[in-house]
Amino acid sequence: MVDLAYLRIYTTTVQSFMYQYDAIDQQLVEERVAQFRDQTRRYLNNELKEEEFLPLRLQNGLYIQRYAPMLRIAIPYGMVSSKQLRLLADITRRYDRGYGHFSTRQNLQLNWPKLEDVPDILEELATVEMHAVQTSGNCIRNTTTDQYSGVIADEVADPRPYCELIRQWSTFHPEFAFLPRKFKIAVCATESADRAAVQVHDIGLQLKKNDAGEVGFKVLVGGGLGRTPMIAETISDFIPRTDLLTYLDAIIRVYNQQGRRDNKYKARIKILVKALGIDEFRKRVDAEWEHLRGTESTVPMSEFDRLASFFTEPAYETLEEQPSILTEKLADSSAFARWYERNTFDHKKAGYRIVTLSLKKPGQAPGDATADQMEKAANLADQYSFGELRVSHEQNLVLADVRQDQLVELWEAAKENGFATPTLGLLTDMICCPGGDYCGLANAKSIPIAEQIQETFDNLDYLYDIGEVDLNISGCMNACGHHHVGNIGILGVDKKGAEFYQVSLGGASGHDASIGKILGPSFAQEEVGGVIQKVINVYVDNRTEEERFIDTFRRIGIKPFKEAAYAKAN
Amino acid sequence: MPKLIKNGEIVDNTYVWQQDVDASASDTTIVPMQKWLDNQDSIGNVAGIWIDAGEGVEPLAGVDLSQFEVIGINFPSFMDGRGFSYARLLRERLNYTGEIRALGSFMADQQGYLIRCGFNSFEFAEDVNLDIALTLNKPFNVAYQGDVADPRPIFLRRG
Ligand code: HEM
Ligand code: SF4
Repeated sequence: MVDLAYLRIYTTTVQSFMYQYDAIDQQLVEERVAQFRDQTRRYLNNELKEEEFLPLRLQNGLYIQRYAPMLRIAIPYGMVSSKQLRLLADITRRYDRGYGHFSTRQNLQLNWPKLEDVPDILEELATVEMHAVQTSGNCIRNTTTDQYSGVIADEVADPRPYCELIRQWSTFHPEFAFLPRKFKIAVCATESADRAAVQVHDIGLQLKKNDAGEVGFKVLVGGGLGRTPMIAETISDFIPRTDLLTYLDAIIRVYNQQGRRDNKYKARIKILVKALGIDEFRKRVDAEWEHLRGTESTVPMSEFDRLASFFTEPAYETLEEQPSILTEKLADSSAFARWYERNTFDHKKAGYRIVTLSLKKPGQAPGDATADQMEKAANLADQYSFGELRVSHEQNLVLADVRQDQLVELWEAAKENGFATPTLGLLTDMICCPGGDYCGLANAKSIPIAEQIQETFDNLDYLYDIGEVDLNISGCMNACGHHHVGNIGILGVDKKGAEFYQVSLGGASGHDASIGKILGPSFAQEEVGGVIQKVINVYVDNRTEEERFIDTFRRIGIKPFKEAAYAKAN
Repeated sequence: MPKLIKNGEIVDNTYVWQQDVDASASDTTIVPMQKWLDNQDSIGNVAGIWIDAGEGVEPLAGVDLSQFEVIGINFPSFMDGRGFSYARLLRERLNYTGEIRALGSFMADQQGYLIRCGFNSFEFAEDVNLDIALTLNKPFNVAYQGDVADPRPIFLRRG
């Protein structure tokens, strides 16, 4: 048991712009801790068999990995308060090695906790309304969304109340804890961009309004990466928000009964959708929905109002857009101007900006943050952004509400703490899985490849000239690093016991999602940086002025890249 | 007599789960669903039927389920969650009010979810300590979703 008195330092109340637990939410996470403590005790006492404990611990985010257990802590739809982040930092220090890994699905992973300590870690998390529920296992996982939710001008509506609705509905759903395979839902609320990768999720929800102005969702189904990457198909153009939960129940009930269970590589919903065809699948879902539609799970307007009431706007001040302290610095300092251009984003409110704290510093594994960094980020959030942060799908942290007249100050502080790598969206803002350094399923290491690419492309002017490129790395075909949907994807493969890397080009994860095409035979580890250099050269030589890498690729096709990559040196 | 957990108590198991299709049926046997469907007119009184994973409940549409004391649902593996949906459909769609019994490889730690889906009896493997299993049947005292006991989700129940 943990000494909860010690934790009181974390429970000072600040005003919150996030969902806050009531007694019921709190009771649930506490009962979960008690349940898992007992399960762990029975396992260590040999009362629970290894194979029985496995699904139970997975539903609590606990993997047993290559060197140690790995604990995946949920950061629901990416929202985390400074108070929570401080406790996370402290947990990595006291129970782990003083750092954590922010994943592409807005979770935080600890790489070295001790199994016996996990119940205590969960108990501490519960004191700040956090948990590790359903971050793994064949159940409905943490729902993810746009890291800019609530602060950009062009969203249809704030997706977070809907994410919270889905979080509650999916948490300990009695019917769907033992699905054929894991199940991931993502929500996007903008037409202009999709930062949640909804097309590669089991269910993707696109918030929209219909012609009558009612809020609802376009529903996509059957996307996913892994061994058989697929882009999702549209199952419904519009489901009113009141019907969202009954419709989700219908989809997953069909999947739970009809999804394949004989082969885990064919068990995702995408395989079922593909096998039946989207029309037949839709027919079956509609038949099920006939029975569920209009039942008690129909969400009343009062619940939307209640949920929305948590995600209130902070007390924004009336500020000048582009204040002189900002414009002067932009004119004076090209380093600042670069950071401003890449790592900050338009805010819906005049005089404010969204700032990304990059976790892609050369020499640091992408997405990793030390305990000190987490505390520093929490302090920066308190000082500059109403005490709240977001975790992005690209494995960075975001301060959503920064005053433009404080950007210079914040930039200086971010630089000191390794958060100001001004490369957001550029080649070296890579997504990278833990790979062979940590993961038992890996065919190859991925972090050294990320390092090699950072070294190959260490000239900022050059990186800016290359412009926007998504480069994603996975250590095996499970695709945790989303290599299929990287403009450049790198996949670790095993070639007669040696670590090799396959390169693919042309993937994308936004509204124009596509799966990359394989360039050709795989490369040895030391060749990868050079190959990526050749690929980039082909782009630079062929691009028109306004083309990004992906645009040039789509225009000229894979052939010139292939020729350059495999040309014999002479 | 073998024991089982039923309605939260350890009681004698008075029925026999018949897995062999060719065995003879009686009013104490739980027979395979398909066997019963194929021989409804000749099979006589049985205690009930059991559904295997993959069979679903659709074949039971139109059958008067009140004639069964018990409907069993088999879990070929505790990872196979199809039975959770079957039980809900039996309760919520086919309005079956008799006993729904978990059979096969389910785990004591799954009882909470199984009960919420409509199971009320559990025929555990012989090596399971029923006294311990009984302590695991209600891990949570609150829930977000509606279930067979109370169809109202949390948003209809928050104060
Ligand atoms: C180190 C331990 C990890 C293990 C053992 C692991 C295991 C797996 C496996 C087996 C799959 C394939 C599932 C399937 O195809 O159905 C998968 C997919 C995935 N994992 Fe991981 N993973 C790990 C770490 C991570 C990390 C660190 C991240 C985030 C950076 C991550 C995010 C994902 C994502 C986004 C997918 C693709 C989902 C999809 O197929 O749609 N995983 N993982
Ligand atoms: S992609 Fe493969 S190597 Fe990388 S974390 Fe996932 S399972 Fe491990």
